Amino acid sequence: MSGLDVGGLSVTIHGTAVLTDVSFKMAPGEILGLVGESGSGKSMTALALMGLLPRGAEVDGRAVLGKTDLLSLDERAMCRVRGREIGMIFQEPMTALNPLQTIGAQVAEALAIHGGGARGAGELLARVGLDPDRIGPGRYPHELSGGQRQRVAIAIAIALSPRLLVADEPTTALDVTSQAEILDLLCDLVRDEGMGLLLITHDLAVVAGIADRVAVMQEGRIVEAGATEAVFRTRSHPYTRALFAASSHVPKRIAAPSGVPVLTVDGVRRHYPGPRKGLLRRGAPVRAVDGVSLGVGRGESVGLVGESGCGKSTLTRAILGLDALDAGQVALCGDAVMPPVPGEVRRRMQVVFQDPFGSFDPRWRVDRLVAEPFHLTGYPEDWRDKVAHALVAVGLKPRDMEKYIHEFSGGQRQRIAIARAIVIRPDLVILDEAVSALDVRVRAQILDLLADLQGEFGLSYLFISHDLSVVRSITDRVLVMQAGRIVEAGPTERVLAAPEHPYTRRLVAAVPVIPAGWITPQSA
Amino acid sequence: MARFIASRLVSLILSLVVASVAIFVVIELVPGDPAGFMLGLNATPEAIAALRAEMGLTDGPLARYLTWTGGMLTGDFGTSYTYKVPVADLVAARLWVSLPLTAYALALSTLIAVPVGLLAASRRGRPADFAVMGATQLGIAVPNFWFAMLLVLVFAITWRVFPSGGFPGWEDGLWPGLRALTLPAVALALPQASILARVMRSALIETLGQDYIRTARAKGLSQGQSVRRHALRNALIPVMTILGLQFSFLLAGAIIIENVFFLPGLGRLIFQGITQRDLIVVESVVMLLVFAVILVTFLVDVAYALVDPRLRRA
Repeated sequence: MSGLDVGGLSVTIHGTAVLTDVSFKMAPGEILGLVGESGSGKSMTALALMGLLPRGAEVDGRAVLGKTDLLSLDERAMCRVRGREIGMIFQEPMTALNPLQTIGAQVAEALAIHGGGARGAGELLARVGLDPDRIGPGRYPHELSGGQRQRVAIAIAIALSPRLLVADEPTTALDVTSQAEILDLLCDLVRDEGMGLLLITHDLAVVAGIADRVAVMQEGRIVEAGATEAVFRTRSHPYTRALFAASSHVPKRIAAPSGVPVLTVDGVRRHYPGPRKGLLRRGAPVRAVDGVSLGVGRGESVGLVGESGCGKSTLTRAILGLDALDAGQVALCGDAVMPPVPGEVRRRMQVVFQDPFGSFDPRWRVDRLVAEPFHLTGYPEDWRDKVAHALVAVGLKPRDMEKYIHEFSGGQRQRIAIARAIVIRPDLVILDEAVSALDVRVRAQILDLLADLQGEFGLSYLFISHDLSVVRSITDRVLVMQAGRIVEAGPTERVLAAPEHPYTRRLVAAVPVIPAGWITPQSA
Repeated sequence: MARFIASRLVSLILSLVVASVAIFVVIELVPGDPAGFMLGLNATPEAIAALRAEMGLTDGPLARYLTWTGGMLTGDFGTSYTYKVPVADLVAARLWVSLPLTAYALALSTLIAVPVGLLAASRRGRPADFAVMGATQLGIAVPNFWFAMLLVLVFAITWRVFPSGGFPGWEDGLWPGLRALTLPAVALALPQASILARVMRSALIETLGQDYIRTARAKGLSQGQSVRRHALRNALIPVMTILGLQFSFLLAGAIIIENVFFLPGLGRLIFQGITQRDLIVVESVVMLLVFAVILVTFLVDVAYALVDPRLRRA
């Protein structure tokens, strides 16, 4: 066979097993989805095929591409295979390109080191959908958006028409519309060029849309594999069932919004100075937030969705009172929020960010981290008890207070971030992509936790996210933001089921979904 | 790019104006009357007053500032109080030693540091890396005058390949001058090369961990090719920053080495100017050094922009 045949692939790194007896086959031109959570060994499988495992790795087994066993090749021979026989693209398009070289040069380099291909760099860039008149080969990576950079990375990977393209979470870092475009492009290329595509992702819906077959990985092993529809319908392995349940999980919410306003945002504008044009002149100011009004009631969850660059972050900063407004007002329970925000107002509003590790000082112990908001109110006598309670409320143990943040997993860190937000009993918690970096099962747990805490403490949530499925599962109302304005607002179910604004429609249409017929509950 | 350079030039000029005012004010505040100092303890008040008038010290501060800066713009730095020769001549003679010495030392330091840093980074955590880290630690810790004396002992006294000190001037041609500057340049370069090699190593290690290096490897480039084609240029920015700082430092900071080798350089000139209250020399040399620092900063900025397209916007 001239496809890929991986058998008994095992990898240990410094003696620790990361892959155990991984076997799968790919026919030429086939799309295989490799799904699983972080740490399940998906990326390691790809890196093992590419011969790019980290130092200290020992590989066993076979990976036959065409007639060659990739694992038996030495480094020199592997350099000839990489880029020519196997192309690879990665998750983070923003950093995947050399910032100092033009995109054309980076594509041309792939051609040059393998002695040239059938197409030139310009033709390849056009093939991946970069219009030569707008995004020519002379552009530098920083002039391109994430989706455009991912296209360049794809052009590099397919430059020599490899037999196999390995795509490791190619759309995870992209907006939902760019994601749809990139997935379309990949499908297209597979069909036109007859390449096999090994698509690695944590997102079951992405796989459902395009993969012919799927393999589910857990802890370095493939636990289930088969034709996509069959695997998705039968879900014979418990892990597959767990992943499925988690990805469509809807937390039970008992809170009933009372209608008493907690946060009111009225006609907020936030402009940035335009780009410099000469020494003194500047271009027209950038209207990052252009007249936004919204309200969040007590016990209510409101979602704010939109793509990167739509002004979500600027609006968040404005609501938190971190930046002065150019126009409009933000009020929390009737008190104006404007910098410098008095501690008495600040304590009623807390925030949880996407990256739980980046938002903690690694040298502080958890008790000090969680107690931090008390500097707004003064430390009460029993602050350690309050911290312990908050940790219990988020499902951790009081003795976790003595630990440091690196001792926790990503999901636990996010729990600590939530404990820090609720320890002083705020009225409003802003969740800025708070579950975006988490694996599906952990995400489901955190969403449950948020729902419970809302019921217990009567919290209001402003849920900022680009992930429509998450927003759908936890919010009462949703606001859709585009280019600094709210273009559509209403009850979440209504807006996402029957969007009125063309932009919302485009957004909703771009979300990958698992076909409804596949998810019917199991007879178990 | 042209706009970038123009805007950098404007900020260069503004920096010079600010620096000249600051230097002038500081010198004004320094205690000690140059006229009194020149005439000695037994001078009559009348004689001092006459000299003060002759030196222009009786004019108002603004007038003196304008005379000083205006003079500098036309190449007239005034006349040294103690040497009685134009400061411009004095400085020019010293620059002919200090500038080549600095350039020589920097060239040596770069020639040593870049390959050594590259070697350490690509052999990270292996014996070669440990050897480089140890040697550079030593290079930073040991004072350069000690190196200087060691060099004199070996190369001037034992082997007699280089002179032990003094500077013959450039009149006899390039070689005698270069020969005289070689040992001091090596002594200056060793600690600088140690610093630069460490910066090079850590910059390269950071770049090698970047995603685009992984992309380059996935294209089919070997480890060595991806270092040469992608990592090296990306690691240059911190290296250029350190080079710029080292140039400014070496231009006047070589004073101890100048003393060890009896070289008539800028460092010694400014030292003599300070001890003899020859304020006009001090003022002019400090201004010149500030100018050199600002000019180097400008050149480093332009070099950044040449290397990195993201920095080309004004």
